[in-house]
Amino acid sequence: MKLERLKKLCELPGISGFEEKISSFIKETVEDRVDKIWIDTVGNLIALKKGNGKTSKKLMLLAHTDEVGLMVKKINEDGTLSFTNIGGVDPRVLMGKKVLVGESLTPGVIGFEAIHTQDRSSILKTPSMGKLKIYLGYSKKEEASKSHRIGDPVFFDTPYNEIGDYAVAKSLDDRTGCEVLIRVLESLDGTSTDFDLYFAWVVQEEVGLRGSGVAANQIKPDVALVFENTTAGDNPELPDYRWATSLGRGPVLTFAHSGLVLDKKILDTIVETAKSNSLSFQYKSRIAGGTDAARLARVISGIPSGVISTPSRYIHSPTSIININDFLGVAKLASILVKEGKVLSR
Amino acid sequence: MKRLIEKLVTISSPSGREHAIREVIAGEIKPHVDEMKIDPLGNLVALKKGKSGRKLLFDGHMDEIGVVVTHVDSKGFLRVDSIGGLSPYMLLGSRLIFETGASGIVDVEGETVKDFGEAMKSLDYDHIFVDIGATDKGDAEKKAPVGTFGTYDSTFVDLGKRLVSKSMDDRIACAIMIQVVKELEQPEDDVYFVFAVQEEVGIVGASVAAFDIMPDMAVAIDVTAGPDTPKSFKRMGFKLGGGPTIKIKDRGSISSSRVVTRLKEVAEKRDIPTQYEVLIFGGTDARGYQTTGRGIASGTVSIPCRYVHSPHEMVDYDDVLNAVRLLKALAEEGVE
Repeated sequence: MKLERLKKLCELPGISGFEEKISSFIKETVEDRVDKIWIDTVGNLIALKKGNGKTSKKLMLLAHTDEVGLMVKKINEDGTLSFTNIGGVDPRVLMGKKVLVGESLTPGVIGFEAIHTQDRSSILKTPSMGKLKIYLGYSKKEEASKSHRIGDPVFFDTPYNEIGDYAVAKSLDDRTGCEVLIRVLESLDGTSTDFDLYFAWVVQEEVGLRGSGVAANQIKPDVALVFENTTAGDNPELPDYRWATSLGRGPVLTFAHSGLVLDKKILDTIVETAKSNSLSFQYKSRIAGGTDAARLARVISGIPSGVISTPSRYIHSPTSIININDFLGVAKLASILVKEGKVLSR
Repeated sequence: MKRLIEKLVTISSPSGREHAIREVIAGEIKPHVDEMKIDPLGNLVALKKGKSGRKLLFDGHMDEIGVVVTHVDSKGFLRVDSIGGLSPYMLLGSRLIFETGASGIVDVEGETVKDFGEAMKSLDYDHIFVDIGATDKGDAEKKAPVGTFGTYDSTFVDLGKRLVSKSMDDRIACAIMIQVVKELEQPEDDVYFVFAVQEEVGIVGASVAAFDIMPDMAVAIDVTAGPDTPKSFKRMGFKLGGGPTIKIKDRGSISSSRVVTRLKEVAEKRDIPTQYEVLIFGGTDARGYQTTGRGIASGTVSIPCRYVHSPHEMVDYDDVLNAVRLLKALAEEGVE
């Protein structure tokens, strides 16, 4: 296993609104290396690594702790659970998948009508979320109600696995970002920067960029770097000009996404840094999709950001795939950017 | 004022690439304002001091819709995506100008007549390409690499009473505000002029520009529809040449009644023609101000404009002059 801690992070359950396990794991991991650390009202984990006092500037590194998943909406008479999605989930990726239900992490499956009994015409048709149910082995509502209730979080149940240069897991979006922040902190190895360095592991990105603005209000950084996991789209059936990004071509840089054109000066600094350190990189070539940077631009007096992502195939599904070298590239680029601090020169 | 308008609309500055237009505006207003700064997102904020202790804010956005290069193929053709609400249909027959100076024209894919027909029927950015006259990939990457921004490349036309150009949305507001800056001698309140960034991608600059100012009133100036063309939206009743509109609502905000009432009062006092506007779509920077901090009384003054977001947006020159009078009147009479 090349990335032991990423495995741990990905296997922890943490859909939007239920990120405690992720934040406490990260807190335990990093608290000895920072000067101040706290979990705020909404659940963001924020840490400060004080600078050497040469400047009064503040840099914030940000990643989101939450992952997409499901939530119990109704307990049915037959003991099955109906659910809704938390964050963007395509119902097609759910059929036949294993899930963990509630804080107790009770194992269940999302079943669907067997192929034997389906009409030929309905095979491959997308069922609506309302038609899918979770089976936990109960036969009556009363039974299921003893250990479950409406509002129980439902997590994908996928073990993290590595095959060569690739890793398969749930919630790589955005545990890769969470792990990048930890690695940056470790790479400093006790040395301090010319500026105050803040780390924000924020909640509820997937349901509308809700945690990042709150974190920024407590920190008031001059510049933010957002570490994300982003859509690959390098599916063989699509021509390459329609790929958003592709695996194995390095960290993904974003010039514009939904709701924001990223700061040009910061982007240029990231590009120059990657080039001068001979790190490969690629641009995200589709504007669709957003990140916490869109929120950060709209809070306080406006925080300019850069966005650096690890590309992922089958993102927002229980089985997403990254190239480990892309991830390592993001972590390396992040560490260099923080050590040099050039992104702060405005 | 027509020369000022021509100067502003001729500049190519899409959202996030407002550097060129900001420089020109700053040059125009600098001698006439008491303070001027550029904030972290790139908004240009200027102040003309008044005497009442109250604060009034005018906003116009500097950015315009555009495109960005997302892919360069082996033959040197480009793929682009939109920056802001730019319909791919508008690109057919349009010329583009990129920030590198490259010039491009647009066409549609289609290997069969049927494919072409289908692409035309529901045109999207996946089925159009841009030709910048490059001979191969290397040549194209020199002229307009991935990440290069561009806009329409269309010229200003003076039709007498009516003016036509790209980016009247929202350079016409920039021109109006510059004119107000120049003509305004004795404002009642402190008047802040915000030339905002990134309105077209989702009201970015205006969401934060007033955070440190917290004015008593904010008025966004923007273009609105021109629903007086043949069989245009019949549910909207304003027209070109009827005067600047006082917006009641659009999809982004409902104007504060304080702002609407005050604008109407000063317009009547100074005998300035205005129209009321209910827009059934769209939104302006007023939305950003309304929800800033503890909230700002916000509204919009619009210039009726035909063919918005096309390469040829048409406004009425008298509406423009009357908008200058209206804003000047508000600044001189004050927010209360």
